[in-house]
Amino acid sequence: MAAEPKLEEIVFTRVLRLNAMVQGIVVGLLAGTLIFIATNWLVLKGGPVVGPHLSLLNQFFIGYQVSFRGSLIGFAYGSVLGFVIGYVIAAVYNLAAGARERRRTPRA
Amino acid sequence: MTENRQGERQFAIVGGGPAGLTAAYELTKFGHRPIVFEKLDTVGGLARTANYKGFHFDMGGHRFFTKVPEVQKMWQEVLHDDFLRRPRLSRIYYQGRFFHYPLKPFNALGGLGVIQSILVVLSYLRWQLFPYRSEDTFEQWVTNRFGRRLFLTFFKTYTEKVWGIPCSTLKAEWAAQRIKDLSLKSAVLNMFFKPRRTIKTLIEEFDYPRLGPGMMWNAVKQEIERRNGSVQLRSDVLRIHRTGSRIDSLVVRCDGEERTVTATDFISSMPITEFIKKLDPPAPPEILESASRLTYRDFLTVCLIVNQPDPFPDNWIYIHSPEVKVGRIQNFKSWSPAMVPDPTKSSLGLEYFCTEGDETWTMPDADLIALGTQEVERIGLARQADVEDGCVVRVDKAYPVYDSDYREHLDRVRGYVGGFTNFQTIGRNGLHRYNNQDHAMLTGMLAVRNAVLAETNDLWSVNTDQEYHEEIRAETGVERHDLEQLLQTAVRQAFAKLDRVALGLSIGSTAGVLLFLATLVLVLKGGDVVGPRLGLLSQFFPGYAVTSAGALLGLLYGFIVGFVGGWFVAALRNAALFLYLAVSQHRAERQILRRLLEYF
Repeated sequence: MAAEPKLEEIVFTRVLRLNAMVQGIVVGLLAGTLIFIATNWLVLKGGPVVGPHLSLLNQFFIGYQVSFRGSLIGFAYGSVLGFVIGYVIAAVYNLAAGARERRRTPRA
Repeated sequence: MTENRQGERQFAIVGGGPAGLTAAYELTKFGHRPIVFEKLDTVGGLARTANYKGFHFDMGGHRFFTKVPEVQKMWQEVLHDDFLRRPRLSRIYYQGRFFHYPLKPFNALGGLGVIQSILVVLSYLRWQLFPYRSEDTFEQWVTNRFGRRLFLTFFKTYTEKVWGIPCSTLKAEWAAQRIKDLSLKSAVLNMFFKPRRTIKTLIEEFDYPRLGPGMMWNAVKQEIERRNGSVQLRSDVLRIHRTGSRIDSLVVRCDGEERTVTATDFISSMPITEFIKKLDPPAPPEILESASRLTYRDFLTVCLIVNQPDPFPDNWIYIHSPEVKVGRIQNFKSWSPAMVPDPTKSSLGLEYFCTEGDETWTMPDADLIALGTQEVERIGLARQADVEDGCVVRVDKAYPVYDSDYREHLDRVRGYVGGFTNFQTIGRNGLHRYNNQDHAMLTGMLAVRNAVLAETNDLWSVNTDQEYHEEIRAETGVERHDLEQLLQTAVRQAFAKLDRVALGLSIGSTAGVLLFLATLVLVLKGGDVVGPRLGLLSQFFPGYAVTSAGALLGLLYGFIVGFVGGWFVAALRNAALFLYLAVSQHRAERQILRRLLEYF
């Protein structure tokens, strides 16, 4: 029976793999929520010009504006973009980590 | 004389302690009729209860506290209502003072006084800052974790009494082994499953048979015999006949008469060293040599009957003070009032750690009783005049010694014994392992499953390490095999490191592409002033502009910044993980050290 590897060995030698789907969802929700909260925060604060800088996001997010309706649109945009970013980072990380591990491990 | 029954598997079990009797008990459940050979005139082995003039003396003090459901079930089905739930109180006696045990930091410091406490804290800090570079000895190992003053107060004298050698020569391996794999595992398991308060409660109180562990083992003996098994006392196994890797028969001497007992299957809880020495034809020389290198520590109990109803409230007291030889004192009335037949009296068990044949072991009983009587007065627990009677019980091979090369020799012996096709070795001494009563019983149960159900349980892996598994299994109902899988997966997920370069590459490439696309979008949209805000990035990225060429430069800058950021995130995460593990390990070590004496 093969001996169970020591935890120390696992910690020092094994490389973590990321779950791209989970990371995409997490980053997506995080980004979407951030935009949603930031937008509504500025809406609640009010003033003569509401959120002039945040509204620049509409350069990329068509239809977005600093209003409650805009916060929902921003949530959708943020979620989608966040999902893509999170997913891509995890997928590229896994590819790179796998390639590096294969290079380190001598072939039998 | 040859005993055998045609057409039926015949099990011969050597040793009538918890492991052997449990194996026999389990076999009778499967309809077998095992024969147990016990060399003493009573059952219970290391957990036996001596009886002197109606007073019951538990050899070593055995709490009935287990996390193994099968063992708990057996205890209940054998003794039913004869279990008492008893509160636990145990203390350390050192320099005329009592300290709670397991150690409680404030109680310990309070008992030491202000000046000593300050010195203890300073000593702790000094050894945290400048520890021993190597941890070869027990002294170095404990000092590095608690400081020298706490080591001298709570570990040195008692450990030296138990092992009979200075802590500066005692190898650290014994203590380290209990912790090495345990701490990180416990850290992982605690992350996923938080034990409930019940575990703590069970440590503060325990179950105990009304008349001591002997009551349990006598009841098991009776049950085995009721189911047509046999337990033969005063039956010493002299030789074990084998043919190649098969055991054929035992030569047993009972009341001066020798006879040969044949069987199809053999289970033994006799010390593994004795098993090897009794083989006929003999084991190979290197195996005999290794067996001879495995050693034991023994103890004797001076049992005193004291004409005093309640000398002290503790179940037991560890005696650290070097001015007396006694190592531990049991107060059996606190274990169970029924252990003492006369309520106006009490019974004490003074445990002296020794080695078979040494000065203490060979001292006449009368001298030992006199010594015990003097020491119990010197400590202040009872007056000499109140000690009205006593006896001495010697317990050989109580502790398998974990010295520097025991593992190498044990592995060799284990490999050899594992080659026998109809033999299994079980119990504390059968496996040369610090199994408590419940784990010794578990080895008996698993051995029966191996023999009868053709399971492949590894008896050598049953030890205290398993407690965590059992705790979790009890909490969640997850079986051991599934738990191992779960643990492996969890460990791989939670404690693998992030590849710094890979994370740098992934975040770098994503950041670069994002900046590239953002720039291009603004360039394509056009206008009088193209991307005035994004263009501010040129403050940090020299040469960057919201143009097609700037998009390419942005791709490069984004990649570099993202790579550096990702690399540092991974490095910090890995460092935090290692720090967490180090802290967890340190904490787990200290938790175990607080209760280290219980392993003696």
